[in-house]
Amino acid sequence: MTTETYLQRAGEILAPFAKATNNPETNRLDVQIAVGDLPTAASALTDASWGYLAAITGMDLGVETNELEALYQFCEGAAVTTLRVHIPREDCPEIPSVSDKIPVASFFERELSEMLGVTVVNTPDPSHLFLPDDWPANVYPLREGFTPEQAASVEPAKTLEPGKVGNKFIVPIGPQHPALKEPGHFEFTIDGEIITGARMRLGYVHRGIEKATEQRNWIQNLYLLERICGICSHTHTSAYSQGVEKLAQVEVPQRALAIRELVAGLERIHSHLLWLGVVAHEAGFDTLFMYSWRDRETVMNLLEELTGNRVNYSICSLGGVKHDIGAEHSASIHKALDYLEERIRYYLDVVTTDTTFLQRTRGVGTMTLDEAKRFGTLGPTARASGVTRDVRLDAPYGAYKRFPVSIITDDRGDLEARFVVRMKELLVTCFTIRTIVDNMPSGEIATKFPRKIPAGETVSRVEAPRGEAFYYIKSAGGESPVRLHIRTPSLCNWTSVINKAVGHQLADAPMLIAGMDPCFSCNDRMVTVRRKDGSNTLTWSELREYGIKKYGQRK
Amino acid sequence: MTPITALLSIMFFPAGITLILSGMLYEWADRKLVARFQHRIGPRWFQPLADTLKLLTKEEIKPHGINSVLFYGLPIVALTGALTAALYSPILGLVPVYSFPGDLIVTLYLLSLLTMCMGLAGWNGSNRFSLIGATRALTQLFAYEAPFLLALLGPAIVAGTWVIKDISDYAENHWLIFTQPVGFFIALIGLMGKLELPPFDAPEAETEIVAGALTEYSGRGLALFHIGRSVELVVAVSLVTAFYLGGIGNPLLFLGKTLIMVLLMATLQAMLTRLRIDQTVGMWWRFGALLALCQILILVLLKGWLA
Repeated sequence: MTTETYLQRAGEILAPFAKATNNPETNRLDVQIAVGDLPTAASALTDASWGYLAAITGMDLGVETNELEALYQFCEGAAVTTLRVHIPREDCPEIPSVSDKIPVASFFERELSEMLGVTVVNTPDPSHLFLPDDWPANVYPLREGFTPEQAASVEPAKTLEPGKVGNKFIVPIGPQHPALKEPGHFEFTIDGEIITGARMRLGYVHRGIEKATEQRNWIQNLYLLERICGICSHTHTSAYSQGVEKLAQVEVPQRALAIRELVAGLERIHSHLLWLGVVAHEAGFDTLFMYSWRDRETVMNLLEELTGNRVNYSICSLGGVKHDIGAEHSASIHKALDYLEERIRYYLDVVTTDTTFLQRTRGVGTMTLDEAKRFGTLGPTARASGVTRDVRLDAPYGAYKRFPVSIITDDRGDLEARFVVRMKELLVTCFTIRTIVDNMPSGEIATKFPRKIPAGETVSRVEAPRGEAFYYIKSAGGESPVRLHIRTPSLCNWTSVINKAVGHQLADAPMLIAGMDPCFSCNDRMVTVRRKDGSNTLTWSELREYGIKKYGQRK
Repeated sequence: MTPITALLSIMFFPAGITLILSGMLYEWADRKLVARFQHRIGPRWFQPLADTLKLLTKEEIKPHGINSVLFYGLPIVALTGALTAALYSPILGLVPVYSFPGDLIVTLYLLSLLTMCMGLAGWNGSNRFSLIGATRALTQLFAYEAPFLLALLGPAIVAGTWVIKDISDYAENHWLIFTQPVGFFIALIGLMGKLELPPFDAPEAETEIVAGALTEYSGRGLALFHIGRSVELVVAVSLVTAFYLGGIGNPLLFLGKTLIMVLLMATLQAMLTRLRIDQTVGMWWRFGALLALCQILILVLLKGWLA
C-alpha cells in the first residue's frame, strides 16, 4: 500500500469522529476530534491494525486561546495520522486514557500529565515518570509562564523506598546498581528466584532539553540535541536537521545526505558493538565484553578520523554537513570495515553456537509477533520478533532511497534472536557504507540556511540504532522553535521488559533490561541539583564541606 | 612438635604469613591469566597485596540492626578455617605439618567453612542482595560439595587410607589423573565452584545482586574474607594436585603442577558464561554427582575383585 492509501484508510476509519480534517503535508493526516471520542478513535485505528502509536505530544497553546493541545501521533509506513484534541487550560483539564488498548501509551500519558498538568483518567500509573518525587504540586514545566524558580523542591509526598511490602520480597535494581550503566530504577518482586512483578521509574537524568530548545535559536539547538545521547548523537542531529530543513523548505545536497547516512551507519556499528559487550557482561561472559569493546575502538577511531570527534561527531549542520568525506578517506574506511566485518561474523558465530551463552539467551524473554505489536516495540527488539518495522525502509529519508538497506528480521523473539538480528544488521550496514563510499554523489556538502524558519509544524522520523526516533517540531516563524517533542525508541520498548520479566528468574532480569538496549539519557533528557535550602549549585569547597559534615554525622 | 614450633608453623611457615602471601601470588596468576585471555593488560604482581592492605586500612562500616558478634566474628572464623585446613595439606610441595587418621574429611569440612561463613554473613545482613547471595551460596554449596567430596574419595579408596599424607605418597607412584580422569575433572570444576569463580559466580553476580552475601562488608571484614578465599585457593589446588598429579614430589615441580591447575581454571573462567543458580544445581546433580558416584562404585568393585 502506498502512503496515500494508508492516509485514505485512516481518514475513512476516523470519519465518524472527525470534526475537521486536513493534510498539512503529503504524508500526514490531521484529524481534529472531541476529547470524549479519543479512546474510541484510538481503538478504531488499533482494531483496524492501522499503524502504532508513536508519540503523544502535548503543548500549551497559550493564555490567549486558553487551551492545551494533545497530539496522538500514529505511524504506518511513511504515513502519519495525528489525532488532535483540545482541552481547556484551566480547572483541572482531563483527558481519557487510551492505554488499555495501547499499553505503551501509559508512559506517554505519564509524561503528558506531569509536564502539562493534564489529568489522564483511568491511566494505570499516574505517578511521575521523569520529574523528581520532590517536584512541587501544580507546577508544570511545559506550561507557558513556567520559571525554574517555581520548581524549588518540596518534601516528597511518598518515598520510593522499596522494601518488604506485605509478604512480597522486592529487589531494587537501581538507581545505582552495577547492572545499570545509566541510572534507572526497577523494582522486581520475587518469590525465591522467580520474578512475580516488575515496576520501573525513570527520570534520573532528566535534563529538560525539550524546554531548553524553546529558549535557543535553531542553530544552537543542533548542539543541544546532539547531547541528548552519547551513543546515538548523530541520530538526534539528523532527525532535527531533517525536520527543520523540511519546515524551511531547503533542498539539502545529495552528497550531504549520503555523508549523513554513512555516519549513521558507523554510529550503528559502534552502538551495536557496545550493546553486545554490555549484554555479555550482564550474562557474566566478560571475555566477549572485552573483545567487542576492543573492536569497537576501530569504529570509534574511524569516526574520529572522519569527523574529529569520537562521541558527538557534530557532522550535521542545518542544510548539509560540516565535513566532507571523500576519496581520501575511502581506503581507511574499507580497511576498518574489512576488520569489523570479520569480527562481526565471528561474534555472530559465538552468539549462535556458544553453549553456555546460549543457555542464558535461547528461549529467554520470548516475545511473539502479536505481543511485540501490542506493546509497541520498535527497532531491533521488534524485528527480532518478526515485526517488519524500520523507518529506513518504511519511509526512506535522506539518502536511504539512493542507498537502501535490507531489513533483517527473525521470528523467534527471544534474546538470541535479538543478538542475531543486531549482528546481521551490522553486516548489512557495513555493505551499505561501502556502497556509499564507492558511489559518493558529487556536489556541494551544504546550502545556505535561513535564520528564521517559516511557521508550521512537521514530524521527522529517523531510525536510530535502537529503533525509531520521533521528532515533532513546531515553528511560529521565529528564530527558535515553539515546541519540540522528542520520543526516543527506548521509551516504547519498556513495556515489553516490564511485561516479559514476570515469570523469569532474577538472574535473567539484567539481561532482559539490557536486551532491548535501553538508553536512559535519551529517555530522560533534566536534572537540577537542588538543596533544601534553595541554593542550586555547590562550589568545590562547599561540596567538600558538605561531605565532611555528612561523614561526621554518621559517626 | 613443641608448642613453640607449632605456633611458628601456624603463624609463619608453612601456614600463616607464607601461606597468605603465596595465596596472593596464586590469585595474581589467576587474575593475570584471565586478563590476558580477555585481551586486557591485567594487574601487576603486587596488586592482590595492595588491595588487601588498602582494605585493611579502610573504615569498617557495620550496618544497623544486625548481630555484631556474627558480623565481626564470621570473617575471622572463615579465615581460621582455611588456615587450619592448610596444616593438613601438602601446601607448597611440603609434607603436611600435622597428620592423623581421617584428616582428609576434617580438611574438606574446614574448606567448606568459608562458604558457610559467607552464607551466615549474608543471612545476618539486613540487605536484600546479601540475603539472596547467601541463599545462592548455600544452594550452590549443596550442589558441588557432594561431588567434590566423592572426587577426592576416589584416590583415598585406591590408596586405602584416609590420611592426606599417605594418599599423596601413594599418588607419587600412580598418576591418578590417568586412572581416574572423571574424578580429576570433577575435582577441578568443584574447586571452581568452591571458590565461586566464573561460571559459578552466581552467588556474587554483580549485575544482579551487587556483591552477594558480602555486599555490606567493607574494610577489614571484606579483607579477611578475601584472604580466606586466596588461602583456600592454595589449599584446595594443592590437595587436588597432590592426589591426581603425582603426589608431592619435589617442591619446584609441584609448584609447576599447581600453576598448570591455575591455568586450566583461568581458561575455563574466560571461556564460560555465568550459570544461573538453577543451571548450576541441575548440572551438578544431573551429571557431576552421578559421574562421581559411578566412579566410586567402579573403584570399590574393582578393588574388591582384585583383592
